[in-house]
Amino acid sequence: MSYALVVAEVRRGVFEERNLDSFGLSSLLGKEIVLVVPDGPYSFNERLADTIVKVKAGEEVFLNPLNLVDIIEQVMNGRGKPDCIVFTHSSSGMESAPYVAGTFGLPVVTDVSAINKDEGVFYKSYYSDKIFGEFKCTGQGPWVLTVRSGSFKDAAAEKADAAKVEYIEGVAASDKRVFLEYVEEEKTEIDITKAEFLLSVGRGVGNKDEIPTYEELAGMLKATLSGSRPVIDKMWLPKPRQVGTSGKTVKPKVYLAMGISGAFQHIAGMKDSDCIIAINKDAGAPIFQYAHFGVIADMHKVRDKLKDMLKS
Amino acid sequence: MNIVTFTKRVPVTQEEELRITGDGAAVDLSKLPFKVNDWDNYAVEEAVRIVEKVGGSVTAVAMGDAESDEVLRRAIAMGAKDGFLVRIARAIQDPFARAALISNFIKNENVPFDVIFTGVQSEDDQFGSVGGILAALLKLPYSSMVIGIDKVESDHMVIRRELEGGLQERVRISLPCILSIQSGINEPRYVSIMGIRKASKVERKVFQGNAYEAGVGAMIDTVKWVYPPRKKGAMMLSGELDEVCKNLVGILKEKGVYQ
Repeated sequence: MSYALVVAEVRRGVFEERNLDSFGLSSLLGKEIVLVVPDGPYSFNERLADTIVKVKAGEEVFLNPLNLVDIIEQVMNGRGKPDCIVFTHSSSGMESAPYVAGTFGLPVVTDVSAINKDEGVFYKSYYSDKIFGEFKCTGQGPWVLTVRSGSFKDAAAEKADAAKVEYIEGVAASDKRVFLEYVEEEKTEIDITKAEFLLSVGRGVGNKDEIPTYEELAGMLKATLSGSRPVIDKMWLPKPRQVGTSGKTVKPKVYLAMGISGAFQHIAGMKDSDCIIAINKDAGAPIFQYAHFGVIADMHKVRDKLKDMLKS
Repeated sequence: MNIVTFTKRVPVTQEEELRITGDGAAVDLSKLPFKVNDWDNYAVEEAVRIVEKVGGSVTAVAMGDAESDEVLRRAIAMGAKDGFLVRIARAIQDPFARAALISNFIKNENVPFDVIFTGVQSEDDQFGSVGGILAALLKLPYSSMVIGIDKVESDHMVIRRELEGGLQERVRISLPCILSIQSGINEPRYVSIMGIRKASKVERKVFQGNAYEAGVGAMIDTVKWVYPPRKKGAMMLSGELDEVCKNLVGILKEKGVYQ
């Protein structure tokens, strides 16, 4: 049987929306879809799969690369190898897909954001989205893929018939890598998800000493200051101020991005803002593709000019 | 605790216009400056911090051309004891082939380790796959997106993995293991030019990569390089800075976020 094996991502009882992109890619490839998911009361559109294999294990056992190889082996037993094994390009997919590929000796392409089905090629981003690599698998499949969130979800198509449901009764859970607990982020006074106007700074800010000057600008504009990953990694702004998939998803009326090039993880966290304004000196920065208004300029010069104007 | 940590020399592509040459055959990187891969820098720092606390040694390994020696000198300046360069004639695109070669290298040379660190991904190809494939090939437990190491014992570690939306998971992992280190796990120390000069005096061992090619075949092939499809894009505000800023404030007023 020619099928795509979609490995579902479930976190804290929620069937993650980015799973839709895995369904979408598999539909575009014209494959029958076998979804493997930890057994539980998650609500999702079961019509998107032809077969649902429910694994009697908790999500924390399921989303562990050492256990997933056993689960995938069980799915393939009696069914044969799929044409592709599809993961979300997320913390868990990025961890498990290469491990699965390594275990079964399969080709892997991560962060797939486009395909050309007729030519059998996948596209993945290089150099912070400035270049796409066009890939062909030369080896025997199945291909192991991770799918960029937002890329294929519109292609997810409902099947005519209700999905067939099967169960995997047990998993050989590894004792070499064991989930202990979830750790929540500390609560802070400022919640950037509630702000109507965010001034967000990125790598272009250059050094820590510049941060207070942007705090000042944000104060003058009555905006809330947030940042992209490089600024948080360097600890120039606290983690709760991070916009992006590993931080917060925000939808302010205005998102003013200064010195942010626009890695997809950042875009995913702010793309639904009503109005996005990007200021960057790199005309090729991907953020200009997503912004409503753009300015190619040194962010510091814009800051100084804005401050002058707002003072007078 | 012996920690082997991989480090890679990558082109700096922010603020650079990248050109595809030969009808998609190559990306011209010839005019770009190079630096250490950000994620690897965090990994080296984390390895050095652990060894400073519990003893042992850090071995930095780079796979690449002769120029990659630069990132080994840097790692030594940060506190690595040894630097190994696995020389390869040209970049290997397929992460599986890369991991297979590294696996052969580690086995053939009996490189001792309790833990292997890689960065979560490299800035150039963003594959994020070598650590996971290598773990499977060496039959070792694996964890990626490691944003904190809370406990180091002789037979296990307690680590934190970064998930989405500010959430983390705490995991116990047995040694030996492979961990892919996420950026932001620490604050990497400053490396001075003097420090790198001093590190140059430590001998770096060079291994010829073609000695480890047994069973290493690429399973994926880059057909060609293309520019990403362009969306509608932003309306660009141009003109004198004064005018641009007036327009910006105008937009903020129109959107009702500034009076």
